[in-house]
Amino acid sequence: MRVLIAMVRDRFDIVIVGAGPAGCTAAYLLAKAGFSVLLVDRGRGAGSKLLWGGKAYAQPLRDIWPELDREAPIHRWVSRDRFSFVWGDRVLTLEYKLGRKVAFTVYLPELVSWMARKAESVGATFIDEVVIDEIIVRDGVVYGVRSGNDIIRANVVVDAEGINRMLLEKLGLASKPNPYSLSLGVKEVLSLDSKLIEERFNLDKGEGLAWLVAGDITKGIPGGGFIYTMRDSISIGLVLSIGHAADMAEKGLLKEHVSSLVESFRLHPYFRVYWREADIIEYGGRMAIEGGLSYMPKKLYTNGLLVVGDAAGLLVNTGYTIRGVDTAVTSARLAAETIVEAHNKGGFTEDNLRAYEEKIKRSYIYKELVEHRGIEDVFRDQFFFTKFPALATRIGAKLFESDYEEPSMLRALLDSAREEDISILRIIYKLGRVARKL
Amino acid sequence: MRIIVGIKWVPNTQAVRFDPETGTLIRRGVPSIVNPHDLPAIELALRLRDSAGGEVIAISMAPPPAVKGLELALGMGVDLAILVTDRVYAGADTLATSYVLSHTIRKIEREYGSVDLVIFGQETIDSSTAHIPAQVASWLEWPYIYYVREARILDNKVVRVVRELEEYIEEYELETPAVLGVAMRSLKPRHVSLSNKIRARFEKKLIIWSNNDLKLDTRCVGLKGSPTIVAKTIDMPEVPRRKEVYKPRDARDAARWIISRMLEDEKLRELLQRTLWGVKS
Amino acid sequence: MSQQSRLKQLKLEELLQRDVWDVDEDRHIEVLNQEGLPIKALIILCPMGCYSMAGDKLLMSYEGCVECGTCRVLSSPDKIRWSYPRSGRGIQYRYT
Ligand SMILES: Cc1cc2nc3c(=O)[nH]c(=O)nc-3n(C[C@H](O)[C@H](O)[C@H](O)COP(=O)(O)OP(=O)(O)OC[C@H]3O[C@@H](n4cnc5c(N)ncnc54)[C@H](O)[C@@H]3O)c2cc1C
Ligand code: SF4
Repeated sequence: MRVLIAMVRDRFDIVIVGAGPAGCTAAYLLAKAGFSVLLVDRGRGAGSKLLWGGKAYAQPLRDIWPELDREAPIHRWVSRDRFSFVWGDRVLTLEYKLGRKVAFTVYLPELVSWMARKAESVGATFIDEVVIDEIIVRDGVVYGVRSGNDIIRANVVVDAEGINRMLLEKLGLASKPNPYSLSLGVKEVLSLDSKLIEERFNLDKGEGLAWLVAGDITKGIPGGGFIYTMRDSISIGLVLSIGHAADMAEKGLLKEHVSSLVESFRLHPYFRVYWREADIIEYGGRMAIEGGLSYMPKKLYTNGLLVVGDAAGLLVNTGYTIRGVDTAVTSARLAAETIVEAHNKGGFTEDNLRAYEEKIKRSYIYKELVEHRGIEDVFRDQFFFTKFPALATRIGAKLFESDYEEPSMLRALLDSAREEDISILRIIYKLGRVARKL
Repeated sequence: MRIIVGIKWVPNTQAVRFDPETGTLIRRGVPSIVNPHDLPAIELALRLRDSAGGEVIAISMAPPPAVKGLELALGMGVDLAILVTDRVYAGADTLATSYVLSHTIRKIEREYGSVDLVIFGQETIDSSTAHIPAQVASWLEWPYIYYVREARILDNKVVRVVRELEEYIEEYELETPAVLGVAMRSLKPRHVSLSNKIRARFEKKLIIWSNNDLKLDTRCVGLKGSPTIVAKTIDMPEVPRRKEVYKPRDARDAARWIISRMLEDEKLRELLQRTLWGVKS
Repeated sequence: MSQQSRLKQLKLEELLQRDVWDVDEDRHIEVLNQEGLPIKALIILCPMGCYSMAGDKLLMSYEGCVECGTCRVLSSPDKIRWSYPRSGRGIQYRYT
């Protein structure tokens, strides 16, 4: 019999749970800094459990990988942003043409696989297909992680488990999730020839479009819709407040299954012309944080533990856009910096890791989170996802659908407001509130 | 005990979809998996090793992406995994595949010592021929038992295997080396473990052999060594089910009703007459 | 290729055919006690339609689950046992 040399590796400097954008970034930076790093994910290959909208902000990623533009599996650089109000068949659309490469579209599983390969290329060990069951704490200090009967020791554990915080809840660092601070994203990927995409959306080769939609496509559930052009497919979907949708379902106000809401969005007469011959190649769902500071755990660090990305509640959801990938990457960068500094100070004690939270508070992420605090309330306000789209499209109807007269803008506004039973003062007040929050 | 377990990396057939719009099968983006019927084979190999000691070596002849499948086997606890991969092996039918696998086993014997058992899943979900275990046994001239549900090592040279056929159970004692085909779903496979995966990575337990290592005559492998000709493939369109609910008085009444309904259908009537009553139409 | 037929509403079962799972033998989600669960919400909001009623019993078929966690958020550990499939099994997203 061949004798095997027992070289069981049961100890690493750093163990990172979750190979999403946050975990992969932390693994890359820490392995590059010379630590022994174990990155673990439960999926088969990195990203196989991830679903998102489709648009990533580039600069925070370039800060880590200057080669991003050249190497990453980018589909299209977003050159146009659109926003539409929908009320029944009536639609009002605004479009903005961007002047530079700010954000790109990409499939999240592809982007995250690329990040994981980057981490492996600088020496991190990436293990997939393994669920971590517990972060072990002994005498107030993080000892390692447990998966089934296996225990792997670590000097620092980075929790990058994402929105479903099974591990943090077990540790008592996060409480049971509140359905009102979470939304459910339901999405379809439609395959469509890249030339057709460029023709129909007025795009040059390699350019992309990001399109957000508000109105009655959500059937009165607070939330909205998104459309992103990928290389040779289109991502469409709805993001719906779980707490509110559940209330409506229980009260019998919502009877349709969420998949049928997405199907109605796909088949909406205004939108379907863009993808009429497209085949659906994937369908699925995942949760997103509703926004603001409400999902942030009490503490982002303890002796030997740092929390990054969605798990730390660091997602900017302004109601018109979700930014979770760049914020996850940035929080992981700040965590990695803190770990290096703590190492130089002589240990990964709570005192030495506290700097992480301070770095977060000084970063652009936190500023965004504070500025958008309460934005959920604004967007959850019936006014914005029901009254306002109704009003906007009615004004449109007055201006463009009159057979004889040519009403003035002001006349159209006043008449519409009266017909929708909304006072002009209330509109001004509400708009002012949003302007302050955005 | 040195046990070899064969693994096939197959497209997840559940994911292949028929597009009625274009009349073609959609294979884009269909990920592969370890042939599900191989999982009980891996489990049996590991159980035998755990009780009798020794090592389990997983082998697979496949293109490079199949390392993912071998990593799963290593995660389950296999001691060594060998991917046999070479351009000249492409396009192989079961004959050419079994030829390469049997020479892989011979090479393992030369490099690591004698092999006691070779275990395969009974068949694969993508082709369902069940040829491979039997053909490997013939190349090696070792005994072969299929539909194995259980096996136990009696002493170093003898295994007792239980196989379950439709109406009876058979028990065999056979001398090693031998080849076993494991019945589908006979054993529940264990899960991947973190420490197994880490160990496999650090001890470099995944090795790759090409035809430079095996040095086989290229006329006997790959497409050239494959006499099988696929004459035609037909997609069987799904037959829509006609649901009916009938409340029978008793079993006899139920049977009578079912048969009378079947006899109403022309195609079924003919089939029934031929198979049940031996009547030629 | 006729475009019109793409433009019809697909049933959930047809949407599920677009996805790939490696289904685990072990059931990772299980209803322990349906008393007090928001049953209508679970049926309507589980994006994959894993929850359904059979008579007055709440059924959960874990095979089509995408592990999103929505039903976990809408319940509690004493009513729904919720865990992840192991060995990388479960949903295999490819594009998303
Ligand atoms: C519908 C929707 C649309 C979105 N659109 C956008 C968008 O357009 N732009 C944008 O920037 N952001 C968007 N987001 C948000 C973005 O996807 C997330 O914020 C981001 O993925 C968070 O990264 P993360 O690394 O913190 O966590 P995740 O990406 O969730 O990664 C966590 C990883 O940990 C693994 N894991 C979890 N628990 C365990 C465990 N116990 N053991 C092992 N592994 C485990 C998971 O499998 C997963 O791979 C969207 C989100 C949704 C739901
Ligand atoms: S986790 Fe999501 S997909 Fe799975 S059963 Fe619950 S709600 Fe449905």
